[in-house]
Amino acid sequence: MTAKALSQRDLATVIGLEVHVQLETDTKIFCGCSTDAAEDEEPNTRTCPVCLGLPGALPVLNEGAVEAAVKVGKALNATVAEHTRFHRKNYYYPDLPKNFQITQYDAPICAEGTLEVSVEGERRDIGIERAHLEEDPGSLQHKGGSIDTADYTLVNYNRAGTPLMEIVTKPDFRSPQETRAFLAKLEEVLEYLGIFDATRDGSLRIDANISMVPAENVGDDGAISDETLAEANRTEVKNISSHKGAEKALAYEVTRQKNAISRGRAVEQETRHWDESRGITVSMRSKEEEKDYRYFREADLPPLEVADWKEKIAIPELPDARRERFREEYGLDAESASKLTSTKEVADFYEDVAEQFDPDLAATWVADNLLGELNYRDMQITDVSHRLDEFTRLVELVAEGSITTKNAEEVVLRGMLDDGDAPDDIVDREGLGAADDDEVVTAVAEAIEENPDAVEDYHAGEGGAVNFLVGQVMQKTGGSADPGDVNQMLREKLDE
Amino acid sequence: MSLNIFVTEETVAGDDDGPLAGKTVAVKDNISTEGVRTTCGSAMLEEYVPPYDATVVERLKASGATIVGKTNMDEFGMGGTTETSAFGPTKNPVDESRVPGGSSGGSAAAVAAGEADLALGTDTGGSVRNPAAFCGVVGIKPTYGLVSRYGLVAYANSLEQVGPIGSTVEDAAALLDVISGADERDATTRFDQSAEMDAHPAEGSDYAAAADGDVDGLTVGVITDLLEGADDRVVETFEAAVSDLRAQGADVVDVSLESLEHAVQAYYVIAMSEASSNLARYDGVRYGLSTGKEGNWNDVYADTREEGFGAEVKRRILLGTYALSAGYHDKYYKKAQDARAWIKQDFDEAFAEADVLATPTMPVLPPELGESLSDPLQLYLMDANTVPVNLANLPAISVPAGEADGLPVGLQLIGPKFGEETMIRAASAVEN
Ligand SMILES: [Zn+2]
Repeated sequence: MTAKALSQRDLATVIGLEVHVQLETDTKIFCGCSTDAAEDEEPNTRTCPVCLGLPGALPVLNEGAVEAAVKVGKALNATVAEHTRFHRKNYYYPDLPKNFQITQYDAPICAEGTLEVSVEGERRDIGIERAHLEEDPGSLQHKGGSIDTADYTLVNYNRAGTPLMEIVTKPDFRSPQETRAFLAKLEEVLEYLGIFDATRDGSLRIDANISMVPAENVGDDGAISDETLAEANRTEVKNISSHKGAEKALAYEVTRQKNAISRGRAVEQETRHWDESRGITVSMRSKEEEKDYRYFREADLPPLEVADWKEKIAIPELPDARRERFREEYGLDAESASKLTSTKEVADFYEDVAEQFDPDLAATWVADNLLGELNYRDMQITDVSHRLDEFTRLVELVAEGSITTKNAEEVVLRGMLDDGDAPDDIVDREGLGAADDDEVVTAVAEAIEENPDAVEDYHAGEGGAVNFLVGQVMQKTGGSADPGDVNQMLREKLDE
Repeated sequence: MSLNIFVTEETVAGDDDGPLAGKTVAVKDNISTEGVRTTCGSAMLEEYVPPYDATVVERLKASGATIVGKTNMDEFGMGGTTETSAFGPTKNPVDESRVPGGSSGGSAAAVAAGEADLALGTDTGGSVRNPAAFCGVVGIKPTYGLVSRYGLVAYANSLEQVGPIGSTVEDAAALLDVISGADERDATTRFDQSAEMDAHPAEGSDYAAAADGDVDGLTVGVITDLLEGADDRVVETFEAAVSDLRAQGADVVDVSLESLEHAVQAYYVIAMSEASSNLARYDGVRYGLSTGKEGNWNDVYADTREEGFGAEVKRRILLGTYALSAGYHDKYYKKAQDARAWIKQDFDEAFAEADVLATPTMPVLPPELGESLSDPLQLYLMDANTVPVNLANLPAISVPAGEADGLPVGLQLIGPKFGEETMIRAASAVEN
């Protein structure tokens, strides 16, 4: 391999991703075992003859996984195959119960899609080459060291058979930032489809192929010829588990490869492992062996006709479209629209509140107050899913003027989140019900009567006097009156 | 018992009543039985006790049958003589110096020796029909998808079916009535998403009732290509049986299927390729033999497989791995698939001319014990008449056609896809 010493500026980055996504289905892809929190259960209890690969057991395809895959295909504007089928990928590994993985090979369920990403205001379409279904292996726990040095290794098949979708992009990324934006967008879309849980350990696993090509070979539209790609030595970076991790790992790799090339050294074609804790990639084996997986048809699963599934399976409005609609329909600014569409649950909740009350009030309460307080507590909307009607009630109390905005924010919302109480209970307990007009009128009259000095100061033109009187009224009403209203009522009374 | 029919003799009672109440059934040892070890005739699974019943075993129990034991077989079904078993060969009850055929040799011998009224075998390339022919009993290989494979330990999963063995066509057909039908745990028995059929073909079928011996007006096509290489004594007995069918009112015609000359090669490439993958799971980690040697997992796997598998199994895994490897896949595996498609098409055309097709089940008489083991190729060629049926996913039955030199000769009748009733009807006429 000729290693021309190119200066770093003359190099362009080319990245392609293989993203493994765990699909949220009730049961595993080929058996009836539950997938719900399988990683938290006692090892090897979420298993059956099928996912343990016992002799004689047979796989039966979970239609829920196929449905999820069709949704992904539609969301990525991909072609959903009319006929799809499964293959065996043969290799020996202790986490693989049958020592082959059932996956898709020559007829993936989805192909040729795109996902638009935006980095620093610049929009780009990332091509999706294919997306296919497969089964997850089990998980290994190395005891007393790493994979190479462990005394022994434990294997847990609870995860074995969890449905995975492998999404393979074209080599369309030109920077690590773009991969991060893509992955964040992909997560957002998958979450909208209701088939993905980002909080789940191992829900997203990423392999990246990265190489440097001469910048002069990159067209104005970012196009790179197959020849140029074939000439460049690439590394495959494994063990990336988040969109932030992808950006870091690939930024490290860009620097490493550019340094090598600018010093006249060739980049070695190899597989590298992203060591998250050290923030570096390390070589896994010096000589890249082309693995031979001996793919062939899985006869236990008949070919699947999905031609009419695409019509039958609906997908919800996706985040980009919803963001745009929120701006138009509710008059939201870009930032609020973005916050309020960050997850489908937030967006659904916002729309529910906006339709009952005022869209602006709803935006303030959902985007700023609720999400702000949740974020402060390191919580997600999913942590309070079962209490959303209580938050709606809180907005209602504010909208009808039963409590002040200040009390709603500082006492009720925080009390709801910290103590888990219902809004009406907090209002009753703290006596926050907005003072009725009679009570305020009486308090105003009393304050004037009880403080002749302040009244005199007011008429003498001392501005501070009215503030003192407002304070008195607030005290009498236990803080439940609106200070602005009180101020106005006092002035009217004093000016009579 | 000196015939060595059973690997494990154990009685499992079925339900109190049912169509097979009072009948005893022997079950081939590659069919999973809950709580009863299932060895596949291999040292690898000598101690393996399945935690679940195969669907066919569940159905046997529900039919009132009593299981009397697990029968000997060629290791993982790889053989045609029951001599590759890790538990020693089974002898032919008709002549103890001869093999009972295989791989379901123990099951056919159990019925022939009166050790069981009925038996379950499995047929990947002839493994029910071959021992049925050699032991002088009846064996059925059902259409692929008629009987659930859930719990059948796979050798070559695109080819095999569980099949019944009995002393008469009607007995075997009655057992087929019990074990056939859709199973939600075997996707290849499910036709709920199929465009061709809206119900499983076993629904509304009565296979035992089809054994009425009436062949009047039926057209029997004799596959001439498969007579050419056969032993003269076998051909003579076969032709006498066919003449008898003609005498009973059947029309007999000659048919030729050119593609069959490639069947044995195609069969072995496909079966060995699938076997190399199906048998990959025997690594000693989860169940079965583990030599437990120290070392990295790769070495431990190799050691376990070296010790646990017999020579024929190793040969087929190695050849199958080779046939699927990059650079050879197109030359072997893909070509074999092409041949398989061609054979299917040839059968379709033949069934335009005949209702059932006839051949001798085996081209030879049962070999002497030990005679064929040394030459695997000779052994493979013995399968010439049975493997085309598996490649084409068709049903076939072997029924005793008479004797030659005091040894049984089987006549094979092949039916169209899910045409078991017609095939059984014709076979029952051979018994007349
Ligand atoms: Zn399971």
